[in-house]
Amino acid sequence: MTQVTEMEIELKEPLVPVEDYLAAGVHIGTQQKSEDMKKFIYRVRGDGLYILDIRETDGRIKTAAKFLSQYEPPNILVVTSRQYGQYPAKKFADTIGAMSATGRFIPGLLTNPVLEGYIEPEVIVVTDPIGDAQVIHEAVQCGIPVVALCDTNNMTKFVDFVIPTNNKGRKALSMIYFLLTREMLRHRGISTALTPEDFETDI
Amino acid sequence: MADKKCTSCNAPLAEEGATKFGCPSCGAEIKRCYRCREQSIPYICTKCGFTGP
Repeated sequence: MTQVTEMEIELKEPLVPVEDYLAAGVHIGTQQKSEDMKKFIYRVRGDGLYILDIRETDGRIKTAAKFLSQYEPPNILVVTSRQYGQYPAKKFADTIGAMSATGRFIPGLLTNPVLEGYIEPEVIVVTDPIGDAQVIHEAVQCGIPVVALCDTNNMTKFVDFVIPTNNKGRKALSMIYFLLTREMLRHRGISTALTPEDFETDI
Repeated sequence: MADKKCTSCNAPLAEEGATKFGCPSCGAEIKRCYRCREQSIPYICTKCGFTGP
């Protein structure tokens, strides 16, 4: 019996070549899988790691860019508490002109009008539904749609649009945010000279 | 939002936690009630057939 590998995947009009996705580790999942993410899983590796289907990831990034383009950039909030996500998420937000909340999310930022820095976004992008549970909770209270980068172990509770990807790797997060940025700028008719490396940080 | 109905279960969107947004694929309006969001019940766009989340 021959072993099926992700190297054999062919993409129709991919955003970047399959090799670039694989080099960034976008497809690498975790050793746990959730029922919600089952449909995005391609296979399980010998060491027990679940591998995401990069065809789904590629298609979802295109759709996510289209979805986020429905909103005015200042009304988009990009949130991440994850260390590796902070730089690419901030870069993404700054490039497209969106708001960002990196590091610890201050409770009440979306629900308490008295709080300094209170904001009223129309859509939220989160890097990890587990780490960013507070902002999802507040988004639900306010009736704001949530876009989330989900790994194989994430539940998609209260998530309205899933981007299946490795949300733990530094390079993977840089790649995803770079592609989102490029696609969103493309929808606005702007070409960019940015590269995935511009979204990477040393820390 | 009380006069609107959930795209997935057809329940009225009266309670807190419901949301509405344009279909990620075609822009047609999608409405989700609190329960469908909580239980991650799939929604299907009536216009283009996009299935989420």
